[in-house]
Amino acid sequence: MTPLVDLVQRQRLLVCVGSGGVGKTTSAAAIALRAALSGRRVLVLTIDPARRLANSLGLSEFGNTEVRIDLGDRTSTGELWAMMLDAPSTLDDVISRVAKDTATRDAIFANKIYRHMAGSFSGSQEYMATERLYDVYGSDRYDLIVLDTPPVKNALDFLESPGRLARFLDRQIMKWFLTPYEEEKVFGKRLLLGTSAVVYRLLGHIFGREFLDELSVFFGLFRDLYDGFRERHEAVAKLFAASTTSFLVVSAPTEPSVDVARFFLDELRVRKLPLGGVLVNQVHSASTTVPDVDALLGAEARASDDATAGPLLARLGAAHRRLRDLAALEAGRVEELRRAAGSTTWVRVIPRLQEEVHDLAGLLRLHRYLFDGGS
Amino acid sequence: MAVTAAATGAADSAVLFRSRVLFVSGKGGTGKTSVAAGIGRLAAAQGRRTLVLELDNQRPSLTGIFGTRPTYAPVEVSKNLSIANVVWVDALGDWLEAIVNLPRVVRLIMRNHIVSVFLEATPGARDLVVLWRVMALARSYDLVVVDMPASGNAVAMLSVAHTARGLFEQGPIRRCADDLVNLYAQADTRMVLVALPEEMVVNETVETARRIGADLAPLRVPLIVLNRATPPSLSAPETTLLSALLAGPSDGLAREVLEAGRWEAELEVATAESQKRLTEELKLPVLVLPVLARGEGALRVVGQITAAMARVSSVPVDLRGGG
Repeated sequence: MTPLVDLVQRQRLLVCVGSGGVGKTTSAAAIALRAALSGRRVLVLTIDPARRLANSLGLSEFGNTEVRIDLGDRTSTGELWAMMLDAPSTLDDVISRVAKDTATRDAIFANKIYRHMAGSFSGSQEYMATERLYDVYGSDRYDLIVLDTPPVKNALDFLESPGRLARFLDRQIMKWFLTPYEEEKVFGKRLLLGTSAVVYRLLGHIFGREFLDELSVFFGLFRDLYDGFRERHEAVAKLFAASTTSFLVVSAPTEPSVDVARFFLDELRVRKLPLGGVLVNQVHSASTTVPDVDALLGAEARASDDATAGPLLARLGAAHRRLRDLAALEAGRVEELRRAAGSTTWVRVIPRLQEEVHDLAGLLRLHRYLFDGGS
Repeated sequence: MAVTAAATGAADSAVLFRSRVLFVSGKGGTGKTSVAAGIGRLAAAQGRRTLVLELDNQRPSLTGIFGTRPTYAPVEVSKNLSIANVVWVDALGDWLEAIVNLPRVVRLIMRNHIVSVFLEATPGARDLVVLWRVMALARSYDLVVVDMPASGNAVAMLSVAHTARGLFEQGPIRRCADDLVNLYAQADTRMVLVALPEEMVVNETVETARRIGADLAPLRVPLIVLNRATPPSLSAPETTLLSALLAGPSDGLAREVLEAGRWEAELEVATAESQKRLTEELKLPVLVLPVLARGEGALRVVGQITAAMARVSSVPVDLRGGG
């Protein structure tokens, strides 16, 4: 059994990280499909703003709800579901569930800061993704969740996001903003003294007084939700570090993506997150022999079209040289990744497929490269 | 390999060099950074004082291209060409200083726990401050080329200006957002998307270009760069003969040579299809940059892009100047 087969059968969460354009989404979908075919209930989840997952599953589009992929009669017990996270409604979902009553919920929905936070600003999306991940994970509807993360910079935000909103909702800060607001209600004017007064005035200057007032309302509404939020952050952080979770570093044999993969290998080590293994997609291969194209194909080519044979044979020689060059270059990069991954981590090399994967049949073709044979 | 980039009119790509601020984005892995660097080198070679920027990148990719690590303060890498990395904390310090104008107070603010957490955690504040720095730098150069995050994230980042206007009614943040919206509307502010001749990359490019139209109007997208392309060069009889040979019996090395031919033919078809789709679906000109014969160092990529763009912009360029 290859190490990846083992992870697919045993783990509860697989997180695919890596740069863009390396087939991360396709790998996530293929892995999820394999788990489903082995009888598990699987959700493949993307927080990518682009619609790559829909592409590779052959769906025209899907949104913030879990969509079941029809596997026909390929499995009796397994299920494959897919979902793409859409930040605003996800945040709405979270608020609806954690707000203590509908009045609080509606007040939050109506707050200007909330409305903008819910989706327009980059960064909040990653946070909401972890919330949603936590929900589906906790629902126990799935045996395995395969998470596809966006390209590098955001993926790091994704790892950090549980902490980021927690800092925004830091109780100290909330209290600091709430106090002047409440005192104003009591005394009819702001009672601010010392450093607080200076800082408050500066923030007022930078962000505008209206904003600070809105913020006070915002924090007031969020005050009751704070503990729930913090618990969830801690739970998500724990989930990422769990022994039933594995991170898969996905790369292509290109210089920038290998750089990013090495960066992730370092980050996972530093953050003490569980590394499952490394996938290198889209690798070209060619024999190292320089072919005598004329001897190999000349007679056959001239027999069918003598005038065209010469130029075409030259072209074929050039094409094979290009392929050899590329294969050699890529082999070096794979080696570099092996060294970076270390001797205890498996690195799986997946050859470049003839056609692009955009349906289940395409994903199935990938399986023998992902799962068959030894590591 | 023949350069067929001339398929795009000289006027279309020349527009890039008449820009003051040029955002470069595209799906991850398409070669955004190389294209941004290539445009920068060419503009510098034409005598424009040019700055190529990365935005708050912990591991700046420009380092590999120019052999110099871009720092917050622009570094000159060759005549007329500088590079920099807009580190957000440094940008924040500069921004606060521009507002408060008292370095001591700025240091106080930066050290204050509440303020720093607030600024770091307020969604969007980070992006606004980084973009503020881009605008500030743009005043000192003829052209600023910005290597943006990948497609969707680039649009989200630039959209921060519009959303901040809904959130902040006054104050420096609001003014910064107003300035940005104003910048997008300028005739010499442009955004270029880099694509590859692959179906999914083209899908994402089309989607991103439409999102720019919807969320960032009137920001101009003058053209799409189709990078690492294999422009069609097989003649019809050659294609027919190749198909016939592929259909026949062959094995071993002969088969591999034929498959290499098929591989290249497919790359040609993919390039033609991608170019057609981008042109038809977006109604934009496509600048085709042929793939390198050997995938060597990043500097070669930049040189090749520079050369291909110089050909289409029909401006004589001294390529010895760069990097």
